[in-house]
Amino acid sequence: MKKFLLGILVLFSLTSCHEVEDYPNNPKGNFEALWQIIDNHYCFLLDKNIDWDDVHRRYSIKVNDKMSQRELFDLLSEMINELKDGHVNLSSPFASSYYRKWWSDYPQNYDARIIQQYYFNFNYLSIGAIDYGYLPQNIGYIHYSTFESGLGSGNIDLILNYFSNAKGLIFDVRDNGGGNLTNVEDLVNRFIDSRILAGYIIHKNGPGRNDFDKPYAYYIDPVGGGHLAWKKPVVVLTNRSTFSAANNFVSIMKGLPNVTIAGATTGGGSGMPFNSELPNGWGIRFSACSILDSEGNSTEFGIEPSDGCAIDMDRQDALDGHDSILDFAIDYILALP
Amino acid sequence: MNRITIFILLAAISISSVGHAQEVTEILRPVNSVYTLEAGSSHVTDTYLSPIKYTGWHLGLKYERNQAMKFSPENWVMQLRFGMEADHGNNIVGNRDLWYGELNFSWGMSRRWKLPIDGLSGGVGFSTGLKAGCIYLDRGGNNPASAKASLMVNATGYLAWNGKIGRLPVTVRYQPVLPVAGAFFAPDYGELYYEIYLGNHSGLAHFGWWGNYFALDQSLTADLHFGSTSLRIGYSGSIYSTKVNHTVTNIFTHAAVIGISGEWLSLNPRKKLSKEAEIISATY
Repeated sequence: MKKFLLGILVLFSLTSCHEVEDYPNNPKGNFEALWQIIDNHYCFLLDKNIDWDDVHRRYSIKVNDKMSQRELFDLLSEMINELKDGHVNLSSPFASSYYRKWWSDYPQNYDARIIQQYYFNFNYLSIGAIDYGYLPQNIGYIHYSTFESGLGSGNIDLILNYFSNAKGLIFDVRDNGGGNLTNVEDLVNRFIDSRILAGYIIHKNGPGRNDFDKPYAYYIDPVGGGHLAWKKPVVVLTNRSTFSAANNFVSIMKGLPNVTIAGATTGGGSGMPFNSELPNGWGIRFSACSILDSEGNSTEFGIEPSDGCAIDMDRQDALDGHDSILDFAIDYILALP
Repeated sequence: MNRITIFILLAAISISSVGHAQEVTEILRPVNSVYTLEAGSSHVTDTYLSPIKYTGWHLGLKYERNQAMKFSPENWVMQLRFGMEADHGNNIVGNRDLWYGELNFSWGMSRRWKLPIDGLSGGVGFSTGLKAGCIYLDRGGNNPASAKASLMVNATGYLAWNGKIGRLPVTVRYQPVLPVAGAFFAPDYGELYYEIYLGNHSGLAHFGWWGNYFALDQSLTADLHFGSTSLRIGYSGSIYSTKVNHTVTNIFTHAAVIGISGEWLSLNPRKKLSKEAEIISATY
């Protein structure tokens, strides 16, 4: 009985309310909290070869208790910009930080006005985030501006049915900054006739920089249920601002037999973002979980166009009302047997 | 006896209960029902969502049913509990809202004894508890919520004193409930619910013990017996602290309790009550 009671006591001594590290709400405390959140949770420190300890050394000496809120914000923003990730933002009541170089260092390669005016004379159809219409060459054109906005199955059926006489389809995701992955699935399943390996998802399973679970394969099934599927050629147009869920869409579409990717390398953004916060209430968003393509490769740095299909918009053509990337896609489809 | 409210309910008697008619007429086991409302404070931290502690209010609606067990009514009592709880909190700077909702259910039995002090009784036992809830932080993104679910075997106990304050009959009762072992749900450290939706269900269920799942619900109440119905007032506190997959969840509440309680009996009006009938209450 004594041993039993002693055992209970020992067990009880092992328990207590589990502690959470507490950082003070001052510049130093907020700096340390932010650094620690990224250190524990950010999923690309190794992929990007970032020496996060060195970042701590370089930035911690700049923190002092006399800093204003804006000075602290600027410093912390500069620190997280070292991650070179469009999914990393610091949000304060007066501003949100953005790392813009992932697209600002590249040509935009898209001007919606050119297509709306010179290809459609402003006669195109719109539903949700989709603008669509027939190009004069009897090719269907869809521009999908964001995966934040999904379309119902019936809506997609109507659009695909509208293009039933088209020679092919140009699916333009330039300037599509992403959104919900379920909307990616709802579109991809219209372009496949059997189950496909869409990619892998790999999450951190601990705070260590190398603590990752094994990649989990995920699949997409054809739409079925009497809904329409697209069997004809497809050209997907991309630019550097094709990001996040749109990047994922391109990654999956690139592996399909009837699909060609044309334009510029996408912006990447394959890290699924988590949110957290600092003691002063500022929010921090960061990539927490990586999505790999069907061959297990990272797509964080973007998806390249199909072989021979990398093309930038020509400035002079643009001034003349031509979208070089769209023209390339039209010619590509017309040249198909 | 005179403290007990007896509601005669017209209930059909099953064949089995007819077979034990002698026992039914001799041992009557009133049901003690308690309905309470609790209100107080809560402190919530869930590192899957945020390392910051959220502090605010706690509300709960609870139902409790106690009855002596049929097989040994003098010595064993059962308790069924059902609760709905809601917490709301803000971070220290007050720019974010956190919500927590929970449904819980438990059923258990206790062995009871009369203690050598007049009016004092106590019991120890076990219960099985089912709990499901969700913490929601209004910040969007891929981790806006943290789901909670557990099925635990609990150690329970109580200490009760029946006496009088002035001329008012009172029952003072302290009851702790301590989960000992079971299973609970938790996603991995950086796992998205989207990945679970995609079908990755490995590592979601965890064996719970005091090292990774420590919880303690305790209540100290006084039932003031005003005739047929009693007024319950008191304190209720809970600790819920888990650490699994390097993720910590702490939910602490303190609340004042107010409610009503009463006892009722289900009798067959077509059967006469035996003169030797004995009423064995679960609580008083």
